[in-house]
Amino acid sequence: MEQTLRETIRNNPKKILGVNPNDAKVSLSYLTVAFVSLLIGGILGMLQGLERAGLIQLPSWLNYYQVLTAHGLLLLVVFTATFTIGYQYANLSHSFGGLLSKVRKLAWIGFALMLIGVVMVTVMIVLNEASVLYTFYPPLAAHPIFYIGLVFVVLGIWACCFGVFINYRYWRKNHPGQTTPILAFFAMGVFILWFFASIGVTIEVFTLIPWSMGLVETTNVMVGRTLFWWFGHTLVNIWYLVATSAWYVIVPKIIGGRHFSEKLIRLVIILLVILNIPGGFHHQIVDPGISQSVKFLHVFMSLSIAVPSLMTAFAMFFVLERTGRKLGGKGLLGWLKKLPWGDVRFLAPMIAMISFIPGGAGGIVNTSNQLNQVIHNTMWVVGHFHITVGVSVVLTFFGICYWLIPYLSKRQLTPKMNKIGVIQTYVWTVGMALMAGSMHIVGLLGDPRRTSDTTYGGHEIAVSWIPYEMVFAIGATLLLIGVIIQVYAVFNMMFFAPKGHTEFPVAEPEDDATPAPLWTERWGLWIVLLIAVISMAYVVPIVDMILNAPPGSPPIRTW
Amino acid sequence: MIQTKPNDSHKELHDEKSLKGTLFSVGVLAAVIVVMWVTVFWIYMDRV
Ligand code: HEM
Ligand SMILES: [Cu+2]
Repeated sequence: MEQTLRETIRNNPKKILGVNPNDAKVSLSYLTVAFVSLLIGGILGMLQGLERAGLIQLPSWLNYYQVLTAHGLLLLVVFTATFTIGYQYANLSHSFGGLLSKVRKLAWIGFALMLIGVVMVTVMIVLNEASVLYTFYPPLAAHPIFYIGLVFVVLGIWACCFGVFINYRYWRKNHPGQTTPILAFFAMGVFILWFFASIGVTIEVFTLIPWSMGLVETTNVMVGRTLFWWFGHTLVNIWYLVATSAWYVIVPKIIGGRHFSEKLIRLVIILLVILNIPGGFHHQIVDPGISQSVKFLHVFMSLSIAVPSLMTAFAMFFVLERTGRKLGGKGLLGWLKKLPWGDVRFLAPMIAMISFIPGGAGGIVNTSNQLNQVIHNTMWVVGHFHITVGVSVVLTFFGICYWLIPYLSKRQLTPKMNKIGVIQTYVWTVGMALMAGSMHIVGLLGDPRRTSDTTYGGHEIAVSWIPYEMVFAIGATLLLIGVIIQVYAVFNMMFFAPKGHTEFPVAEPEDDATPAPLWTERWGLWIVLLIAVISMAYVVPIVDMILNAPPGSPPIRTW
Repeated sequence: MIQTKPNDSHKELHDEKSLKGTLFSVGVLAAVIVVMWVTVFWIYMDRV
């Protein structure tokens, strides 16, 4: 026993000493912002659900589109980005045995920039100067400060990107011939995508600032939408990569198994990074002014993401079945029963993975040309992304909290808190199943998204939507309860849970596994391929949109 | 662990390495994709 203890101290001092408190502070600060945003966003979400069902009427000083803009931005951008950074920086610190102090400084600079940006954006929404929804499509025009706030948010993210790149380079230089720990490899993929995703939207925002100030008269609406979805589509896969880092590496450890072949995991990461960005036009399938062949290319590219996704599904079933059988599971599905369903650290990401099956299938529907015309701009879409981001991603994030936060705060996950987490997971699952399920169905019946009142003077079709909208309201209420439980759990584990040691659960490879190949670390090459693929997908259509531009649009304020 | 007869333990080892659950689960996944796709396509055809 002593032998192993001494070995542990020599090889892996963090195991004994725990996380560097300075690194923990970085991650905990980002996570704090994340869960404050979740709380506010969740309250707004419930208001929307009740308004859609006709159960409440929002006052004129807080209208539906103001609420919807804040809900979208706070949850889709602020919550996911700050959680991602807090979690990925913790992974990096754990993998590398601590962050470089200049990297930590960059993370703090990023934190300050993002906070300033979020405050600017939020204040503009609250003042009713920016009810442009989270997509801020021109010609809808917000106050210039809204766009300037977005620039700050992007700069903050870039600071975090550079921090990761610097620490990665430093580690590689000091460990020649070695592959990076798998969680650090994930972090590289995530932040490379963040960086390249945000280039398009930054260009867009820089053109919108002078336009919203009245210095430029018109803007090119098509180019704006295209640059937005270059970002928006990639953001989806950033979340997905973050979630899969926990599925591949954390979940196997929690259930007492080993992770899948590291070569395959790395291949999935590389494929997601390279193939991802050129799918943006599948959000613009019904937009005019984009040639069929370019749309076809983007549809094809977005379907190609199914390849790494299916690889992930297979690998995860494999790991779950192997482990369940080792624990004595028999028959076709007996292994499922052997998995630790009472452990929130497993339960939450497991439900997240299961929900990725209908989520992914819905995505294939959305990206198919004809099928998109059935579901476009209906509540189906809202149901789709509440299942994908709202369950697959968010529930994975929630599950991560139950080990990451006590690990960072040097506290413990008590059995009672675990039980609270299990209850939270079920509340969330039922709430989302009701809300997103009914959104899918009513969307097929034609109920439009982003519309506060859908009674249409009592038309019979609109009347047929009402029962489903009542189900949204029930789901939304359950979800707010879920948000409150989760936020309570997070801050309890941060500040009040009993002191102690919590493990950072990283799975080991199988005993007979071959080591990960070094060629996977050639990020320079992956980035060159990434740039080539982006150029292939975007240069021709954007040049075409600029050269053959229709008359631009002046800023329009519809509210 | 309960003592097992030799041919039993062989079967057990075989069971431990079995991946029929994975095959089944991947099949369910494929079925969900097909059912969802066909349903919406059918609605499309019905409406054009
Ligand atoms: C308390 C939990 C939640 C409830 C009750 C809720 C409810 C809703 C409702 C009713 C809508 C309005 C649909 C419309 O009129 O088009 C909506 C939109 C939206 N929600 Fe949620 N939601 C919740 C959580 C989340 C989460 C966790 C995310 C993402 C991380 C999210 C992202 C969005 C986005 C992006 C929109 C679309 C905004 C837009 O169309 O501009 N929601 N939500
Ligand atoms: Cu997309």
